[in-house]
Amino acid sequence: METRRTGEETIIRTEGVRYEYTRRDEEGNIEGTTIAVDGVDMTVRRGEFIAILGHNGSGKSTLAKHFNALLYPTEGVVWVTGCDTRDDARLWDIRAHAGMVFQNPDNQIIGQVVEEDVGFGPENLGVPTPEIWERVEESLRAVGMLEYRKASPNHLSGGQKQRVSIAGVIAMHPDCIILDEPTAMLDPVGRKDVIRAARALNDVERITIILITHYMEEVVYADRVFVMDRGRVEMSGTPREIFSQVTRLQSLRLTVPQATLMAHALREGGMPLPEGILTRQELVEELRRLMPHTSEGGD
Amino acid sequence: MSIRLEHVSYIYDADTEMAHAALEDVDLEIADGSFIGLIGHTGSGKSTLIQHLNGLLTPTAGRVLVDGEDIAGKKYDRRALRAHVGLVFQYPEHQLFEETCLADVCFGPKNLRLSQTEAEERARRALQQVGLDEQYYKASPFELSGGQKRRVAIAGVLAMDPRVLILDEPTAGLDPSGRAEILTLIAGLHREMGITVILVSHSMEDVADYCGRLIVMNHGRVAWDGTPAEVFRHYQALEEIGLAAPEVTYIMRELAAAGIPVDSEATKLDEAVNSILKLWRKGC
Repeated sequence: METRRTGEETIIRTEGVRYEYTRRDEEGNIEGTTIAVDGVDMTVRRGEFIAILGHNGSGKSTLAKHFNALLYPTEGVVWVTGCDTRDDARLWDIRAHAGMVFQNPDNQIIGQVVEEDVGFGPENLGVPTPEIWERVEESLRAVGMLEYRKASPNHLSGGQKQRVSIAGVIAMHPDCIILDEPTAMLDPVGRKDVIRAARALNDVERITIILITHYMEEVVYADRVFVMDRGRVEMSGTPREIFSQVTRLQSLRLTVPQATLMAHALREGGMPLPEGILTRQELVEELRRLMPHTSEGGD
Repeated sequence: MSIRLEHVSYIYDADTEMAHAALEDVDLEIADGSFIGLIGHTGSGKSTLIQHLNGLLTPTAGRVLVDGEDIAGKKYDRRALRAHVGLVFQYPEHQLFEETCLADVCFGPKNLRLSQTEAEERARRALQQVGLDEQYYKASPFELSGGQKRRVAIAGVLAMDPRVLILDEPTAGLDPSGRAEILTLIAGLHREMGITVILVSHSMEDVADYCGRLIVMNHGRVAWDGTPAEVFRHYQALEEIGLAAPEVTYIMRELAAAGIPVDSEATKLDEAVNSILKLWRKGC
């Protein structure tokens, strides 16, 4: 879980990114300006698994939409694999390099058949037909959905639909996938499957992952975590560094994984547990050291 | 207000080749004043079930009885029922449409043919119950934050004076503090006003923390029905149907399996922490 060796090559870089939008009333009169992103400098290297946390309205989704040129900075610059996102001529390159998956599984699937949906992206890129089919197959395999290639998306669960959406992005052979709360509407197993698919793409295919989420458990395997508040990056570091600051996170309307929260409560109760416990396995291991055992293991 | 489902089945697209059962032989009693968690994977029948509780759907077979009366009966006042059994859909803030928060919350009571004054009284009370600051009453709902919008949407249902409040994933998409605030609000309504609450959720932690009883749906049937401890005892079978147990329960089970005699059925964080601390203090 410690930072793995990742490439030195920069995939996404932002410099002083600020994003403002004008609020208007019903008649179109200007009511004021909202600063959604306020001076963000961020560098994401090839192969990294990045997580972005932040309360509702902290600016994380607005920032993410800059990563594939859905939004352009009011001030500052965003480079995706070296291209300035404001360069219109490179727009489709940029979107092919950095693909995006959104929250609602029902808004992202357009095909009548799973494989057709996954093929849309490469088809739009002008990929020759035989290669489209190869890409569809490898993408569906990568997210564990190959056996559903002939299925109708309507008959899939939320988690399966999200994995099809991810496959649709992978089929464009991106360097980077941005997942904006991909599990918010899913049941526990759907959530686990989507995160597992994202981790596998990162581990095996070395695709850079940027995950935006409100579920702290999904973040423990990230290389680096950014915490946003009022449009700025308030904290950044490894999951262990971030999640050891329980009260600071709570003041930013966030929390920590359940195992970390439990370790925190036990420490406050006097138990000498180390800081930085992130997972169930780590907590159980530490507790086994501290707790009296009965001779026979019971359940 | 008690609700009873007797052998309720519901078939979508009956009489067509697409016919499929969303509910099969569901038998349930929902006692007045209970706080129930309704869980199940996507497509397990939860949404179909809750729409039967206020007469939005009529069973293909079986009966829904409210205070002993069949709500499908010819003379039954289903309009009144929909006020008594309030349903808060997923992402309810998408349904806000009026120019001000107050006007939006007035919409329901006005449909009950209450006067403007009465409707506004109810709306103010409901907005107060959900804890929206008075400075926002005249603001457009679209200027509010995600959590605030959701409160206004819930107020819209509360203004109908429901005895039963059904919420379909009321915390989806909210940050951790927003989730806690909405759940605290719901728990307060239950405690202080005695409203029966049915909480549909994908968060095993949330239903374990707040609900006294859990109903687990699978393939249109009730798979389990009991206290959180009773239901989460079946964590392996729950995983097979797309669910899980709270993280705390897994930790306690693993400790128990390692021979540490903690309460292996704890489902809430404080229960688990107390059980571990008690044992540890005894041991030192």
